[in-house]
Amino acid sequence: MKVPMRWLRELVATDLSTEEIAERLTLAGLEVEAIERIGAHWEHIYVGVVERVEPHPNADRLVLATVDAGQHRLTVVTGAPNIAVGQKVALALAGAKLYDGHSADWRLVTLKPATIRGVRSEGMVCSEKELGLSEEHEGIMVLDPDAPIGMPLRDYLGDEILEVAITPNRVDAFSIVGIAREVAALTGAPLRLPELAPLEAPVDPTLATIEATDLCYRFVGVALEGIRVAPSPWWLRRRLQLVGIRPINNVVDVTNYVMVEWGQPQHAFDRAKLRGGRLVVRRARPGEELETLDHVRRALSVDTLVIADAERPVGIAGVMGGLDSEITDETTSVLLETANFDMLSIRRTARAQRLRTEASARFERGLDPNLALPAAQRAVRLLTELIPSCRVIAFVDHYPHPRRPARIDFPRGEIQRLLGVDYPDDVVRGVFQRLGFSVLSERTDGRSVWVVEVPTYRSDVTIPADLVEEVARVVGYDTLPERLPVGQTVPVEIDPELRLIRQIQNGLVAAGVHEVITYPMVDDESLRALSASGEEVPERLGFYTRPPIDFVRARNPIRPEWSIMRPTLIATLLRNAAEQLKFNDRVAIFETGKVYLPRGSDELPDERRAVGCLLAGSATLRDLYHEERPVDFFDLKGILEEVLPRLGVRPLVFRPLAHPSLHPGRSAEIVHHDRTIGILGEVLVTVAERFGIPPQHRTVVAEFDVPLLLESGIEPVTVRPVSRYQPVEQDFAIVVDENVPAAEVEAALRAGAGPLAVSIRLFDVYRGPAIPEGKKSLAFRVIFSAPDRALSEEEIQRLRERIEQQVKRRVKGEFRR
Amino acid sequence: MGSERTEQLRERALRELHEASSQEDLARWHARYLGRRGEITQQLRELGTLPAEERPAVGRALNELKEALEAAYESRERQVRELELAARLRAEAVDVTLPGRKPSIGTLHPVTQMIREVTDIFAHLGFQVVEGPEVEYGYYAFDALNIPPEHPARDVWDTIFIRSEQKEIVLRPHTSPMQIRVMERRKPPVRVVVPGRCYRYEAVDATHEWHFHQIEGLAVDERITMADLKGTLAEFARQLFGRERRVRFRCDFFPFVEPGVDFAIDCMFCRGEGCRVCGGSGWIEILGAGMVHPQVLRNVGYDPDRYTGWAFGMGVERLVMLKYGVPDIRYFYQGDLRFLEQFDRIPV
Repeated sequence: MKVPMRWLRELVATDLSTEEIAERLTLAGLEVEAIERIGAHWEHIYVGVVERVEPHPNADRLVLATVDAGQHRLTVVTGAPNIAVGQKVALALAGAKLYDGHSADWRLVTLKPATIRGVRSEGMVCSEKELGLSEEHEGIMVLDPDAPIGMPLRDYLGDEILEVAITPNRVDAFSIVGIAREVAALTGAPLRLPELAPLEAPVDPTLATIEATDLCYRFVGVALEGIRVAPSPWWLRRRLQLVGIRPINNVVDVTNYVMVEWGQPQHAFDRAKLRGGRLVVRRARPGEELETLDHVRRALSVDTLVIADAERPVGIAGVMGGLDSEITDETTSVLLETANFDMLSIRRTARAQRLRTEASARFERGLDPNLALPAAQRAVRLLTELIPSCRVIAFVDHYPHPRRPARIDFPRGEIQRLLGVDYPDDVVRGVFQRLGFSVLSERTDGRSVWVVEVPTYRSDVTIPADLVEEVARVVGYDTLPERLPVGQTVPVEIDPELRLIRQIQNGLVAAGVHEVITYPMVDDESLRALSASGEEVPERLGFYTRPPIDFVRARNPIRPEWSIMRPTLIATLLRNAAEQLKFNDRVAIFETGKVYLPRGSDELPDERRAVGCLLAGSATLRDLYHEERPVDFFDLKGILEEVLPRLGVRPLVFRPLAHPSLHPGRSAEIVHHDRTIGILGEVLVTVAERFGIPPQHRTVVAEFDVPLLLESGIEPVTVRPVSRYQPVEQDFAIVVDENVPAAEVEAALRAGAGPLAVSIRLFDVYRGPAIPEGKKSLAFRVIFSAPDRALSEEEIQRLRERIEQQVKRRVKGEFRR
Repeated sequence: MGSERTEQLRERALRELHEASSQEDLARWHARYLGRRGEITQQLRELGTLPAEERPAVGRALNELKEALEAAYESRERQVRELELAARLRAEAVDVTLPGRKPSIGTLHPVTQMIREVTDIFAHLGFQVVEGPEVEYGYYAFDALNIPPEHPARDVWDTIFIRSEQKEIVLRPHTSPMQIRVMERRKPPVRVVVPGRCYRYEAVDATHEWHFHQIEGLAVDERITMADLKGTLAEFARQLFGRERRVRFRCDFFPFVEPGVDFAIDCMFCRGEGCRVCGGSGWIEILGAGMVHPQVLRNVGYDPDRYTGWAFGMGVERLVMLKYGVPDIRYFYQGDLRFLEQFDRIPV
C-alpha cells in the first residue's frame, strides 16, 4: 500500500523523520519496502501565476507567457495548448533538472536559457511528465488556485511515499488511518482522526434491505440530493494519483478517498437509475448478468453476492459496481453504499470473476464492520464540503449483530513463558494503552490473569500469544536477549538413508562425477522417448517399473513439460546431459533425488531416494598424457565397482540385461545378495537423440534404489591380519569359449584358489592365431599369501592344480601352455 | 733408486686417477694399479727379486704408496659418483611448469553443500536431521499449520496441486508440513531440522524459482522461549556468515507461529551501511521464524499450556546466493557445469 507522508502526518503528529517512521513500522511488522521521493530533484522550480499570454511574433503554435513567481518574474516561450491567464503553474528556471518531455524514456536534462524563433526564453512552464509525476505531456500542469505564489514547488508538491507491505492478518493497517494509528502506538505521538459529519437525516429502512444476512453483516445506506458532478479539486485528485488511483469525478473520488483513508470500500449509485430507488443485498438469481464498470458483461453464478435494485443486480458486492447505475455528469441524487460482507464470499467471487479490485482486496481480508459508519460519515463530510448544494435526505444502518470488542484472558506469565524475558507491568500496560487495548480487570487465582479488551479493528488479536507479540513488537525485539535452549538433551541419531546418500555423493565426487540437481518433473513425451520406438511409455523406466496406474500428475502444471513427478532419474539426467554437451566435451554427472511411484488416487506416492549417474561424450580429453577417448560401458561400470563396495555393498554381480532404453549387448543389472539393486548400460542412440544428445556421442547411465541398497545389506568393515610373509605372484592364462562370461571364469579361478588368493586381477583378453577359433584367452594375475607362513613351491603347485580342475569343471577352460 | 721409481709411479697414478671421470675409468685405473695384476701388486710380488738390504725400504715405500693410492681412489670414487649423480639429475630435469597428470574429481552441487553446512551446524546444536514427503496432503501443508482453506494467508503460497479424487494433495510449498509429521510421531522434547525440495506455482526470474530448497527447524519442550530462538539463530548465522554478524528480529506474520518474526543479519557486503545487496537497509533477511502457534500444538495433541516451541524456515538457494554472491537463482537448476564446477571445494 502506498502511504503519502504528507497525508500521514496530517493524522499523526510526530517529529520523527520519514526514515525513522519507516524503520519503526518495518520492525513492528509493517514492512516499508521502499520510499519513493516525489520532487527530490526539484530545484529552481516555483509556483507561479500566469499574468499574460501573447502570441509569439514568429510562430503560430507558440505563445509568450509571462509568469509571476514572486521573486522571479519572467516571460517564457511555450507551446502548451492549455495555458491561460490566471492559472497557477510550475515555473522552472535555468538550472532546473527536468525530464525530457519528448523522450520515450525517463531522461533528466538541465534547463538552459534558449532563444526560440528569435525570442529569448529564460525558463519553462512544466508538464507533469517534465516533473516526473506522470506520463502526461499534452499540456502544462495546472495547480490548485490556492497554490501560494513563489513557494518552491518541492515544498508545495514534494512528498515521500512509503510502500508498505500489509501482511494478511493486518487488514486494520490497510489504510492511512490504520498506519497513522500504528505510528501513534509505536511512537506515542497523538493521533488526529479526520473530521466526520454526523448523520442527521431521517432514518429510512426501505433504502436498503439485507436478504443474504449470512453474507452481509452491515449495510449503511445514505441518500443524498443536490449532487453536482464535477472534477474534484486539485488536492483530492493529487492525493488519489499519489496512491495510484485515477481521479474520475468528485463523487467517485470521494468514495475512493475514503477507502484509502479508512480502508472501507464504498460505492455510490446514481439513485435515479435504481429501479425503486433502493438497494437489496442478495445472491444472484439463475441467469442474471451484469455489465460492470470495466465494460465487461459478466454472468453471475447463484452464489455471487450482489447489490440489486428492486429488479436486477447493479453491482457485484464488494468487487465492482454496474455500468448502468454509475455516476455521470447528469447525476443529481446518490445512494451511497458502505457495507460489510463475508470475506470468503467476496474472495470466491473475485476469483471466479478474475477481478481483483481495491475493494475486493480489502473485503477479502475481513473488514471490521464497525468501520462502516465512520466511513459513511467521512464521505458525507467530504461530499458536503465539495458540493455545497448537497445534503443527506435519509439514511439507514442495518447492523443486526453489532461486533463487540473481544476480551482475552491473558495470563501475565505468558510474556516470560514465550519470550523468555519479562517487562514491568507499567511497560506492558503502556503498550496496551497505546494500542487502544484496555486492561479491564486483574484476577489472581494462583497466577495473575489480566482481562484485556481489544478493539474490533484488531480482529487478528484473539489469544494470549497475540498479546505477547503486541508487547514484543511495540517494546522492540532488540530487547530480547540471545540465549541457547536449556532442557533435556535429545540424542541425535543419523538417518541411515541420509548417511548413505552422503557417502554415495562423496564417493561419486571422488570418482570424478559432478552432482547436478534437476527439476524432478517430466511429461508423457519424455517418458515415451525412453522406449526404443519412442511411441509408448516402456515397461521399464530406468531401474523402475512402469506403474499399473497413472503417474503422479500435477493438476496445474507450470509448463506442460513439468506435469508428471518423475518415475525415474534417467529422463531428467538425459535432458541435463544434452544441455551440458553444448558446452562440455566430457559430461560426468549424477543426481541423488527422488522418484515418485504412484500408490493410488488419494494416496501419497512412494517417494524413493534414487541415484542416477550418467557419462557422455569423452571419457578422457586429449592432453599431454592421454588421447581423447569416447566413454563406454566400462567407464561407468568401473566407477560403480569402485564406489559401491566402498559403501559396503559387496560382492557385486553384473548380469546381462534386456532393457527398453539400453543397448541390448551393453547393459547389465547389478545384483547384490540375489537382489537387483540397480541397472547400468549404454543408452540407445535413438533414445539419447530424442533428449537432444547428438548421435556422435555415446551415453552410459546407471540408476540405483537407495532403500534397496540398505535392505540388501551393508557389510561392515572386517579387518584381516596382514601377512608378514612374502606373497607369491602367479599368472594364469585360461582359454574358454567365446561366450563364457569373464566373471564366471574368475569365479572358477577363485573357487580353485580359495582364501589364499588375496588378489585376482584380469589383465588381458586375447583372441588370435595362437588360440583356436571361437575361443578367447583370459589372463589373470593372482597374488597368493598366507597369514602365517611363506608359501612353498609345492603348495603353489597344488593350488595351480586345484584351479585347473575348477576351471575345467566350471567353465570348460584350459590353461594355455 | 727404488724410491725414485716409486715416486714416479705415485705421480703417474695420481695424475691418471685425477683424469678418471667415470666409474668405468676408475675401474680401469684400479685394475691397473691396485688390482691383482696391477702395477703395485706386481711390484710387491717382485720384492723378492730385489737385494735383501733394499727390500724393507722398497717394501715400506710400496705399502705406503698402496695405502695412499687406496685412499686417493676412494676419495676420487666418491667425487666421481657425486659428479655422475649431478649430471644425471641435470639430464633428468623437467619443465615444472608443464601441467601434471590430474585425477578427475567431481563437485557437489552448491545446494547440497549448503544443506550439509547448515544441517551440520544444527546437528552440533543437538538437532536431528530428518526428511519428509514432497508430495503432501493439503492437511499437512496448510490446515494443520493453521492455514484454513480459502484463507487469504493461503495466497502467499502459490501451490501446484496433484490430481486426486477426495483428498487435497499438493507439492509442498514449504518444508513446514514436517513440523506436523515430526510432532505427530514423537513426544517432546523435539529438536529437528528438515532440508528438502519445495515447489510453488511461480514464474521464474532472477530471484524466484518454482522448484527450490528449504530447511525447516523445530524445537519443542517445556521451557523453550523466543530468547532461545534468537540465540540459536544468531549462533547459526555467525557460524555461517562470520562471527562479527549482528542479528535482528522484526515482527512478521506466518499463520503457524505467534509471535512471528523475520530474522536478519547485518549486510556482510556493506557491513550495515546500505548497498545494492541489502536494498540500502543494511539488513539481509535470511529466514522466517516464530513461536509455534498454540493451535498447531493442539493439532498434534500437544498441550500448549505445558509445551512451547519455535520453528524457522529458510531458503537454501538464497543462502548460497548471499554467501557466494550468485547473481541469479536460475543458475542452480540449468545444470550448467560451468557454474557448478566453481563450487569445487572438497566435500566436508
